[in-house]
Amino acid sequence: MTSTIRRSSTVAIAVIFCGLLLFTFVRSGGNLGNFGITVLSGLFQGMLLFLVASGLSIIFGLMDILNLAQGTYFMLGAYVAYDIQHAGGVVDLTQTIPNPNVRFPLALIGAVLVGGVLGVVLERGLLRRLYSRPVFQLVLTFGVALVLTEAIKAIWTTTPYSWTEVFGLRTQTFELFGQAFSVYRLFIIGMGFLLIIGIALLLRRTRIGIIIRAGVEDSTMVEALGINVRAVFTLVFTLGCAVAALGGAVAAPFLGASSSLADAFLLQAVAVVVLGGMGSYEGSAVGSLMVGLAIAVAQDATIGTSLSVLPSITPMLVLILILLLRPSGLFGSTR
Amino acid sequence: MTDILQVQGIHTFIGQFHILEGVSVSVPKGSITVLLGRNGAGKTTTLKSIMGMTPPSKGTITFEGQSLVGKRSYTIASRGIGYVPEHRAIFKDLSVAENLQIAERKSGDLERKSDLIFELFPDLKRLYHLSGGSLSGGQQQMLAIARALVPDNRLLLIDEPSEGLAPVIIEHLMNAIRQLAAHTSILLVEQNFRMASKLADRYVMIDNGQSPISGLMADLVKDEALVQRYLGVAKQGAQPQ
Amino acid sequence: MGQTLKRTLRENWLYALILIGLIAFPFIVGAITGSSPNGVPRGDRMIMRGESVRWQAVLIELFILSILAMSYNLMFGFTGVVSFGHALFFGLGGYILGLALEYVAMDTGVALVVGVLAGVAVCGVVGLLVGLVSLRLSGVYFAIFTLAIAEMFFIYFGRLPLTRAEDGFPITELPIWLDPAQSRLTFYYVALAFFVAVFLFIRRLMNSPTGAVFKAVRENEDRAQAIGYNTLRYKLIAIILAGMIAALAGMLQILLNKKVGPELLGISNTVNPLLMTIIGGIGTFTGPVVGASGLHLLDTILRESVITIGSLSIRIADVWELILGGIFMITVIIFPQGIVGTWQRRRGKRVG
Repeated sequence: MTSTIRRSSTVAIAVIFCGLLLFTFVRSGGNLGNFGITVLSGLFQGMLLFLVASGLSIIFGLMDILNLAQGTYFMLGAYVAYDIQHAGGVVDLTQTIPNPNVRFPLALIGAVLVGGVLGVVLERGLLRRLYSRPVFQLVLTFGVALVLTEAIKAIWTTTPYSWTEVFGLRTQTFELFGQAFSVYRLFIIGMGFLLIIGIALLLRRTRIGIIIRAGVEDSTMVEALGINVRAVFTLVFTLGCAVAALGGAVAAPFLGASSSLADAFLLQAVAVVVLGGMGSYEGSAVGSLMVGLAIAVAQDATIGTSLSVLPSITPMLVLILILLLRPSGLFGSTR
Repeated sequence: MTDILQVQGIHTFIGQFHILEGVSVSVPKGSITVLLGRNGAGKTTTLKSIMGMTPPSKGTITFEGQSLVGKRSYTIASRGIGYVPEHRAIFKDLSVAENLQIAERKSGDLERKSDLIFELFPDLKRLYHLSGGSLSGGQQQMLAIARALVPDNRLLLIDEPSEGLAPVIIEHLMNAIRQLAAHTSILLVEQNFRMASKLADRYVMIDNGQSPISGLMADLVKDEALVQRYLGVAKQGAQPQ
Repeated sequence: MGQTLKRTLRENWLYALILIGLIAFPFIVGAITGSSPNGVPRGDRMIMRGESVRWQAVLIELFILSILAMSYNLMFGFTGVVSFGHALFFGLGGYILGLALEYVAMDTGVALVVGVLAGVAVCGVVGLLVGLVSLRLSGVYFAIFTLAIAEMFFIYFGRLPLTRAEDGFPITELPIWLDPAQSRLTFYYVALAFFVAVFLFIRRLMNSPTGAVFKAVRENEDRAQAIGYNTLRYKLIAIILAGMIAALAGMLQILLNKKVGPELLGISNTVNPLLMTIIGGIGTFTGPVVGASGLHLLDTILRESVITIGSLSIRIADVWELILGGIFMITVIIFPQGIVGTWQRRRGKRVG
């Protein structure tokens, strides 16, 4: 029975991908440059989504918690990276490390560290107390998102920041069939792919990966086998938050840092997770690419038209459709 | 004969429900002890209380001389207790190999035990790389028990292994469990009285959350009246499933 | 008859006292501060100047927040339905009344009645539709669904040219006797009346057999179903009622602000009742009111204050949301029953 579900899902995925690609190709009138830009843009968007959605999905599968603060960690990563890279703010490294190319990796690392530390604090300090009350867990992650957002606004004000610091990769472009595309974006896409494969390997080949996959199915039984699942919970949660923060940091040169990042990415990530199936890693990877592509196609199709609201509500439409038609998503189990 | 496990007077609540009202169970080392009783009497809850999943609010549980009360399940398991729950609880998305690997507590456990495991359950060798979900009920049961053999467990808690299985498979299962007793002590929950009576050395009757009588299986089998009173069936037939 | 009245009064003496206090409030403040509850005359109109009218506005806002919180509590606290889309009803109610008043060529009085009825009806229908479509989804999925729907409406109305997109439109056509910019005292009593009516309605409802089923659904839905209740129907009723009451709150809000804008549909109108209900005491009658009142009063009083720690001076207004979030978290972790719930627990009474 699982195999028929898998097969129909694979067919559905293939159809949707081909449909989106075909639509874009036709729209671009055979102009490979435009087509390529839209596809790459979709991949880029998809990778960013993956950074938020993968954690969200695994955390939900393992711990039955929908971490509504995941989008906020993304936003936090953007602000921390921005702060480290630029002058002023909480941390100013422009004097000690004058080379912006060196500051940038530090910015990323800083964002990941802050995200990770706050993730541990949140899980151990707060969520642990509420394992037995799932409704309140949802409400609690909501509260954390609120507090974190307000704290960020308090520290960095509500004015959105655009990334002004220039560094190597950011300025380079390359030509694709006559259109210019930023090398940096390609770098992000590449990094995203590496991450997807890396996490997949982690889940399939390592002992901790086996434990996580088993825990997603039945964490009580895993504990009965002599494994401290709570420690695994903390690890997974922390990694999820850290990776989300990385996403924000990596996106910041393009998206800047603003207080609306959290909401936008959270809802999109939730759409991805539901589409892919809660708790399914493959689902979050495939779902991210699909939603990313869908948004890019929608943007391309509606630029300047009266339907320009479409790209912003695409994730919500996807979410609503999936919930109505197949709540378990593409790869989720119909539990 | 020393007892490897001593449960004395435990009370367990699930929510507001007082499921166990003073249950005592002793498992002598090297024996197969069975918990008998009607549906809902509290047999599974007793096992879960020992494993720490539904911790008792009163009473003592001692394993190899150490108390288990108040400990988390993973600590209890790591002391050397293997749990094979009702409905097997094998991981469907994991392969047979991974199901066994995850049970390792020290590296090399699986390697050391693989001879024993494949001797008892030769089918598992053939199914080694298939996913747990593609196994039949009987094969899943084998896997669940094999999983409990991987680490160095001196006590196995097995809950209703014969449930939903064909008689032929049950025979195979019984043989396997009998052979296991040579390596480890076993506390069994079985509704199938025929199977239980052939397998176990000792019994403890669980009735309405209490443990009124216990003793040698050999004695119980002779006492039809007692069997009728607590299990409500003639001793020859199996319980209607 | 006299006996029942006497007993009702005796059991509810505190409520009666508070009600009398609220009725007399504008005059009490007026007496203390020497301002008129009717405002100050200028030409042939009254303008709203003076402490009494200022505090009337504060209390009106408090009534609105309380009504919204009570509606959320009916759905979430009493029936256990977790929705993140409550702002939808609040905003829709406001928009429909606003549209009826401003965009339809009708006599203002008629427009008012039609608008209110239409708004409540539409929100009831929306609640029905949303519930029918999505209640089969389990908790988390349902919550996400409601969030997605509310956000969609928020974005949609934020771009709709008809309602002037994100700017919204003002309310200019309002009967003078109801206009809070001219007859705030009357509006105050109207808001107070709705507040009391909603409170009594919910209390009556929860003490009825239907209310008992609501509580059963929250406690253990499977068991309620096993007993034979159509839990889906009761959840639907809870959502519809909650939606309609929230719509009323939204209407009062647009009348008070004399403005209709997409912020009505924004997430803060889901967050606020959620927070206030939990902090005040989930699943209790007075909890949401205590939460809403307490937080709103705190906000009003502290808004202008500045705290100085060393060389850092912090304006409370800037960090109010942070404080609110902090109180919320502490409540969820340490006092999940909220203010009223914990107090009731201490006194040994059963909650709700």
